[in-house]
Amino acid sequence: MSIASISHAIQSTGLATYVRESELLYPMIMTTHLACIALFGGLIAVTDLRLLGVIMTNTPAQDVIARLRPLKWAGFVIMITCGILLATSKLDEYYPNPYFQIKLSLLALVGVHAWVFRKSVYRRSAPASGTPAKLAAALSLLLWTGILSMGRWIAYYEPPK
Amino acid sequence: MLAYDPATNPLNTNEWAFPLCECVHIAAFAFSIGMIGLVDLRMLGLGLTNRSAAQLMRDTEIWILLGLIAVITSGLAIFTSDPVHYLHNGAFQFKMLALVVAILFHYTIHRRVNGAAVAIVSIALWCSLVLAGVFIGFL
Repeated sequence: MSIASISHAIQSTGLATYVRESELLYPMIMTTHLACIALFGGLIAVTDLRLLGVIMTNTPAQDVIARLRPLKWAGFVIMITCGILLATSKLDEYYPNPYFQIKLSLLALVGVHAWVFRKSVYRRSAPASGTPAKLAAALSLLLWTGILSMGRWIAYYEPPK
Repeated sequence: MLAYDPATNPLNTNEWAFPLCECVHIAAFAFSIGMIGLVDLRMLGLGLTNRSAAQLMRDTEIWILLGLIAVITSGLAIFTSDPVHYLHNGAFQFKMLALVVAILFHYTIHRRVNGAAVAIVSIALWCSLVLAGVFIGFL
């Protein structure tokens, strides 16, 4: 079974077909995806700017991280769900798209990032500061900007005829 | 119209320029509207509850302003790529109206009044902008 046939089978499921063919649902899911990018992006930006020491410096970074964690998870789950619905509805076009592949790779790197900095920054009980915190924040901003940009570029790929 | 030919616009002659503007536009709105959302969530009793909504507004206002400047500048650049098309697009017209209302709301009531209703209106206004922005491409 090839990737092409698997992706075609996924794209042909009832839900994916319904999303693709619906004139209203598709843009609505895209709007929800983008609105969550705004919410989630704002939360990421605040956390990273705090780790960089440029915002809310009178509140411990640990406090900002802990209080925003549930909201970040909520935003992330809705954003990813919408993203999966959008991608699977046109998976034949998406899976060979290099920008889509880069986007997924960068998302995997987000997981690596969270794992690498888990002990030194994100789950640390003592205040997170110094080089690991700043490095984690800078890489996070870079990764998410990359993911967002690749997401936009998906629409500009022209497959070879 | 003034003697302006969109065909000479760098956004239409360079294949990278237009998507790059869109990326700046999306990153900047994620940044600015996301920060406004943080204040709205606080008004709803969520998130950074150890600070007051007014404090949070002061913490974020410079970042919101910088983000809004970037989102409007990149939006203007995108607009110049095909002004006639955008001006005749119903979703674009709605988006511009919503933008004016959302900014007026933010810099008047939103900054001064703290309450769940204010937060919900703010979220609804900014979401309507995102919705209209998406629909520009579908009309």
